[in-house]
Amino acid sequence: MQENYLAKWLSGELSEAELAEFKKSEEYASYQKLLEVSKTLEAPNFDADEAFQRLKTERIGNSPKVITLNPFKKFLRVAAVIAVLLAGSYFYVSSLDETYSTQLAERTEVTLPDNSEIFLNAESQISFSKKKWDQKRDVTLKGEAFFRVAKGKKFTVSTDQGTVAVLGTQFNVENRDNFFEVTCFEGLVSVTFKGKETKLPAGTSFVVIDGVIQPTNKPEGAHPAWMNNESSFDRIPLKYVLAELERQFNVSVKTKDVNTELIFTGSFDNTNLEMALKSISTPSHIKYTVEDDNVLFYAGNTPQ
Amino acid sequence: MDNVCEDQTFSSLFKAHSKSVFNYIYYKFGNEEKANDAVQEAFVKLWENCAKVTPDKAKSFVYTVANNLYLNVIKAEKVRLKYAEKGDDRSHESPEFLMEEKEYKQKLDNALDALPENQRTTFLLNRIDGKKYAEIAEMEGVSVKAIEKRMHLALKSLREQIDGI
Repeated sequence: MQENYLAKWLSGELSEAELAEFKKSEEYASYQKLLEVSKTLEAPNFDADEAFQRLKTERIGNSPKVITLNPFKKFLRVAAVIAVLLAGSYFYVSSLDETYSTQLAERTEVTLPDNSEIFLNAESQISFSKKKWDQKRDVTLKGEAFFRVAKGKKFTVSTDQGTVAVLGTQFNVENRDNFFEVTCFEGLVSVTFKGKETKLPAGTSFVVIDGVIQPTNKPEGAHPAWMNNESSFDRIPLKYVLAELERQFNVSVKTKDVNTELIFTGSFDNTNLEMALKSISTPSHIKYTVEDDNVLFYAGNTPQ
Repeated sequence: MDNVCEDQTFSSLFKAHSKSVFNYIYYKFGNEEKANDAVQEAFVKLWENCAKVTPDKAKSFVYTVANNLYLNVIKAEKVRLKYAEKGDDRSHESPEFLMEEKEYKQKLDNALDALPENQRTTFLLNRIDGKKYAEIAEMEGVSVKAIEKRMHLALKSLREQIDGI
């Protein structure tokens, strides 16, 4: 008899010859009876409707799980600092979603239903479903924002270049054209980019420029520089620095004979255009002129 | 494609698979409370991950969660399984026959209790839920051959226990 023939017998897979042989055995009658009686066994009753009701009211209910009393606000504030994610075409807006956006040279703060906080940098937009917030904390982002996520269920930030999942940390997400940066300041964050997941512990960054993952240094401070009115760059091509300059001051930046792929490390003050222009031009050995809202950077003379 | 995060889709999935999950955990542990808890936990997890699970993957997702929930449970717990009898009309049978039947069922219950959990679960999933070996293999995360072996051993043990040899 073949291996596991009893199992085969049960599923009707024994050959005719084997079946005949089995039937001749002494134990066959016992097995046959076992087969018949076991057919009458039943599992206990299960009321699916009642279970579903219980699921909705007790586990996935409408009542918020995060206490919103103000005295407890500080204790609940555990944010993940992730760099801003670029959210281009992912933007999903429905009549149920709340949307907050900033213009050029504007910043704003949004408080979510569970007391999580989002700080938006210039020209950025976030969107989330207030109604579904208790069940699913998902924010769609275009641009740059700093998140302080209250302790609770998983919190995700969706952008068109990647998704960031957080369990209560402080993180900054930057998502601009061809530029995607996530920085975790506290806690742990997971970044999914092109289907691959990378875990970012506190004090690390994940940067992608033009679709290529970049090596990164340890970020400084407990939150991104832009929250202190400073735009800071670590080995970033000049073109992105200029793009940020445009966003912060709502100016139009043009260049002449300047290599905008030049790597720039430094920062500029978001509150003073003249100082900002100097901060960019001096280390890069370029000159500038500014007239109303138009800035022009051009090649300087040979640097000393 | 339907989204599991939509109420309609989610509730359909629940209605379709909750009883299965319930039975599965019940066969493993013989405990209704655990079985009910497992259903709740598995579907809560499905809801929390609704954006990442497609409807056709939802079934195996909830089985996996339910299975994992009790991987570490000490199985020394005495398992007392009770099987409701089907309400067939048996009045035309003789009292002796019915008594014999009752005794046999009791022996079967005891023998099932005595089986190792994986054999029992396999046996009941096949006999009560009508699941084929391939499906059970997927649920338990083992090969079809392993399931066949469990079934074979289960039948062998059960017969030996009942017949007393």
